[in-house]
Amino acid sequence: MPCEPLLRCRDLRYAYLERFRALDGVSFDVETGETLALLGANGCGKSTLLKVLDGLIFPTAGTYRAFGHDVTEDHLEDEQFATAFRSRVGFIFQNTDAQVFSPSVREEVAFGPLQLGIGRDEVEQRIADVLAMLEIADLADRAPYQLSGGQKKRVAIASVLVTNPDLILFDEPTAALDPRTQQWLLELIVELGRAGKTIVLATHDLDVLDWVCTRCLVFSEDHRIVREGRPDEVLDDRDTLLAANLIHPHAHRHGRLVHAHPLAADHSVIDHGRPLTAAASNALERDRTLGTISV
Amino acid sequence: MPDTVATPAWLLRPEPGLCPCGCVGKRRRGSFVAKTIAGAGGVLQAALFSEDVAREPGLLQRLDARAKVVLLVALLIGVGLVHHVAVLVAAYLATLALARASALPLGFFVRRVWLFIPIFTGIIVLPATLDVITPGEVVIPLPFGLGVTRQGLVAAATITIRVAASISLVLLVTLTTPWARLLAAVRALGVPRLFVLVLGMAYRYLFVLLSAVGDMYVARRARTIAPERDARSGRAFVGATAGALFGKAHVLADEVHQAMTSRGYRGDARTLDRFRIGAADLVAVAAAATCILLLIGGDRAL
Repeated sequence: MPCEPLLRCRDLRYAYLERFRALDGVSFDVETGETLALLGANGCGKSTLLKVLDGLIFPTAGTYRAFGHDVTEDHLEDEQFATAFRSRVGFIFQNTDAQVFSPSVREEVAFGPLQLGIGRDEVEQRIADVLAMLEIADLADRAPYQLSGGQKKRVAIASVLVTNPDLILFDEPTAALDPRTQQWLLELIVELGRAGKTIVLATHDLDVLDWVCTRCLVFSEDHRIVREGRPDEVLDDRDTLLAANLIHPHAHRHGRLVHAHPLAADHSVIDHGRPLTAAASNALERDRTLGTISV
Repeated sequence: MPDTVATPAWLLRPEPGLCPCGCVGKRRRGSFVAKTIAGAGGVLQAALFSEDVAREPGLLQRLDARAKVVLLVALLIGVGLVHHVAVLVAAYLATLALARASALPLGFFVRRVWLFIPIFTGIIVLPATLDVITPGEVVIPLPFGLGVTRQGLVAAATITIRVAASISLVLLVTLTTPWARLLAAVRALGVPRLFVLVLGMAYRYLFVLLSAVGDMYVARRARTIAPERDARSGRAFVGATAGALFGKAHVLADEVHQAMTSRGYRGDARTLDRFRIGAADLVAVAAAATCILLLIGGDRAL
């Protein structure tokens, strides 16, 4: 009998207030140790799906199994199952203000392991280790309102990593972060993946897919999965990315980077609407001839 | 979705800016909304400042938060039992000395105490100085056969100084203890955990919502060209902001609950309490007990 995947979703459907559809027949598996990217435009249902995967909301139809068990509202009422599930799944919300709710960083990081019944001495040790790992040990006694956006994101990550989950869910992890913090966070995700964690992240940052993810799911704006594949396969599927509203019709790629000239269907007018200089036109023509730019 | 953005012609035309003749317009005073928002910003700054002060290496900062809360309650009871102005003045001066020893800026400390006393205590005690309320020796005659009595002045001074000393004691504890430690101390002293959790979260999200109000006001102000002539537009803004904030708070509350559930919260919050009573705390408790005895003993002796 083949081994069951870590997560198995079949025909998941969800609607807010029973009117506003967010998921419409979503089916996929997640294997242990993979890093899966959920790609899609705003409002396509990525965040809703992450909340379903974390057992925070429950699909109106379809089935969701995690670690070989059905995840339902009824099952999560069971204390033993809930503790086992919560200790194996960590969720890093997009809105760090919602996630960082305790009066101090130390109490925030301690919250998860204490609820899961880990002993106080071990909790203290884990807090020290995870704060040192994320380079925020000096913030331990700070209040959340004294932290910058990047620091709050680190605290949110620390508060999840401290429970040592097998599966980590990231909702738009790099949104509203400065480039340096984005880079740090992406490197951390890669490191966690190498350490054997299973990661599911919702994003529309196409530039980092190759580097960070092992597989991608593309969501259409009508809340279905329209493409599944390796990052290079998905990035090469321009028609799907266009249909999913993930790239603009004027977008093209330099190597693996997707790049858009907002005013130009024609490369003769890309410099803020002004005609290009002869030298710039020649350089572009040379690139086009060499095949490094495709329109 | 169209491939290109159809920019309307008016968006490509520059708008007239300052008058070319270089004249300047009239300046107007800020509306009540601006003052309220500035006040809210002040609350944020004061909180940030007090958290920094609470981490200074001062005398009271070295004490355990639990010891400080117990001392505060005991000293408040002690001050409440004293009846002589001279003893109360001595207690108030002692709080100033403690503030100084705890690296609190004295000007800030005194202002914070005396800012509200005339407003709240003054209104209550001023009528008590009149002979119709407190009969006695009239020292300041007033029209219509009224007068301020010596006994009335003493009673007013007693209440005012007692309030000042009590507020000073509360401020000493709150300014020298980080909020998180204060909450943990209150929890450790038997206040129900759920109550403290709600209190802590209310304080935490007060800042998020204050910041949201500030952002909304700045966004409105950035698009406001004509001066606000009347309070009506201000009231409309306050109403709209309250509605928007209610919606934001509702969404945020949902998300916070999900974030707690995600980390294993099932209705019974467990918290990290780490307290160590040291020699300094025991000395402080002994010193405070002596102070209370001196206060009450001195008061009885006078």
